[in-house]
Amino acid sequence: MKRASTSMRMALVATALMLIAAACGGAADDTTTTDPSGATTTAASGATTTQAPATTAAPPEPATVTYWHTMSDPETAQLDNVIAAFEAVNPTITIEPTRFAYDDFKAALLTGLAGDAGPDTARLDIIWVPEFANLGALQQLDGVMPGFDEIASQTFPGPLATNFWDGHYYGLPQNTNTQVLLWNREMFEAAGEDGPPETLEEFATVACALSDAPNEKYGFALGGTYFWAPAPVFYSMGGEVVDEDITTATGYVNGAASVEAFTMLNDLHTSGCLSPNLLGGGIGTADGLATGSYAMITDGPWMVDIYAGNFPDFEVNFALVPTNAAGETSSVVGGEDVVLFVDSDVTDAATLWMSFLMSEESQKMMAEVGVIPTLSGLIGDPVMPDYFDVFLDQLQTAQARVPHPAWSDMDNAINNAFQRMLNGDQTPQEALDQAADEINQLLG
Amino acid sequence: MGTAWLFLIPGVALFATFVLGPLIFSFRISFYDWNIINSGDSIWVGLENYARALGDPIFRRAVLNTAAYALVTVPAQIALGLGVAVLLNQAIRGKSLFRVLYYLPVITPWVIVSLIFEFIFIGQGGLANYFLKDVLHVTDQNIRWLADPILTFVPIFLLGIWKGVGWTAIIALAGLQAIPRELHEASSVDGASPWARFRYITLPLMRPTLVFLTVVLTIGGFNAYISNLLITNGGDPLDKTHFILTLMYEATFTRLDFGYGAAISYLLMFFVLVMSIFQIQLLRRRVEL
Repeated sequence: MKRASTSMRMALVATALMLIAAACGGAADDTTTTDPSGATTTAASGATTTQAPATTAAPPEPATVTYWHTMSDPETAQLDNVIAAFEAVNPTITIEPTRFAYDDFKAALLTGLAGDAGPDTARLDIIWVPEFANLGALQQLDGVMPGFDEIASQTFPGPLATNFWDGHYYGLPQNTNTQVLLWNREMFEAAGEDGPPETLEEFATVACALSDAPNEKYGFALGGTYFWAPAPVFYSMGGEVVDEDITTATGYVNGAASVEAFTMLNDLHTSGCLSPNLLGGGIGTADGLATGSYAMITDGPWMVDIYAGNFPDFEVNFALVPTNAAGETSSVVGGEDVVLFVDSDVTDAATLWMSFLMSEESQKMMAEVGVIPTLSGLIGDPVMPDYFDVFLDQLQTAQARVPHPAWSDMDNAINNAFQRMLNGDQTPQEALDQAADEINQLLG
Repeated sequence: MGTAWLFLIPGVALFATFVLGPLIFSFRISFYDWNIINSGDSIWVGLENYARALGDPIFRRAVLNTAAYALVTVPAQIALGLGVAVLLNQAIRGKSLFRVLYYLPVITPWVIVSLIFEFIFIGQGGLANYFLKDVLHVTDQNIRWLADPILTFVPIFLLGIWKGVGWTAIIALAGLQAIPRELHEASSVDGASPWARFRYITLPLMRPTLVFLTVVLTIGGFNAYISNLLITNGGDPLDKTHFILTLMYEATFTRLDFGYGAAISYLLMFFVLVMSIFQIQLLRRRVEL
């Protein structure tokens, strides 16, 4: 135990001291320069890898722009081609990409930023942009970045909105995605069902018809209780988390449609039609769908590549999320935004790089490896894979999660409410009433 | 004397820079609503972070969980480790092989064995359920180990014990080998049974080793982190299964509440300090034969 616990403590101490040593740097900075523009560089900022001159430098000056991301293997390989294309046009600029695991990314960014060793640009999960903007880490782009308005006007409004915080835009939507229904044709046909359900009512019936709980077969499965998992069903039912102006959750997260969505999922769980894996320690949704344990799951466009690698013989079938009583479908918007950090001292070169990432050329290249572009003009472009159609369709009505710095805590409040109802501690209404109170507190 | 200091400088400088400095700095953070990016914007909140932690049912549950982990795994590791050490201390064939085998779990990475234990205790099938349901027939349906706030600790506790026995055994073996052989020989000439020799010679002379093991293993137990993080995803279900450190990590890096995270760290340090002093006082009495 000693050795193990020592290594554990070492890891902990290492993390802590990296962070705290970094924090020291940050603190020292703040005492030497309080200039909010960040134009003034201090001795401590020598930690950045760039050799480039200060913000006033013109693009032709040699500059190195760092770019942090969490791309998959095929995306990372394609990014090299995107960078090569950019550097061919901008020979004086070098892009230095660094890849992180998604789970480590936030901590790595914070450590880097606090120690003045953060990147110039990064591809952030859309739900983190308000959080980092609120911390003062991100550079406002509207009115600052050349060509911002033009680029922004070419993007889908939903993904663009994820960059908006406190009156300004702090990023550009680099790519987007949403979840749709995935269904196992073999299981459907074996039960005499000819296709995926179109309404949520049919969905619940089919989920139960395809379930055989004693043998661990379920009509539907969710990856967990965190909001992203039930979000497609929640939004499609007409559920809402807060009002449009983000002032209250009362009457929204515990409103009729929200309660109806969670009641349906809770009932499916109780009657053995929803896999218990969502509470932890079960068969994963992707594996379960491919191996015939689960008949339906909801997931994103990346599943095509994942199945091609892990289950090459599995026929991947997508469908729109089933509709509510009013005949409306919806889902949840995911994706990543490209952001510029206030500490960057190569903003001119960095914004050129960001503009290139938002260009048709770069967006088409990334689309080849399954990344859905955010430029509305690219819909129907022959370079887009066929399976993008259903996702682009779903994106028309998909909704963004609450763009608020405290979203992680709101997510947790809904997550816990879902778990309380699944455990039978509370009814869906009681659980969501409590979640509404908790979210209201976060909204202050 | 001057040369000695010269040799100490690198170590002391490293310690001061990477341990002492951050320790002091995080102590400072624990009194603020800390802004990690612009630390100048941090707001002094006094003892509020500490008060919040002590009043937080999730934190209190995490303390109980961590204490339970230490209470279960430390005695189990010592008892099993001592047993293995006594066996390894015999003149048996292939002693080195057994030593290596018992030590193997210690050097396996936490992440990998945590995932393996999670896999064994998977709720839909899994080796543990197969054994209980299909072999022993003690249950007729799969047990949802990882969905239950109590049963989740079965794999976590077992993992902690399994992984620690080897190291405990090696330390205990060193202690056993330091006991003069003549004492055992003399007592067996006097007709003492093996149990009597263990009870009246081995155990008392092992006291310093056992004190060391108890203190170190308890500190290790309170610092348990990786297995819990991976097996419960950090507190699932309902934040009921946190250890102190998984909660600290979540507060700091998921919720960016650095002041609260730092306060939790210092509360943990306080618990460990008090416990270690108490254990050393309790167990460090003179050995009288």
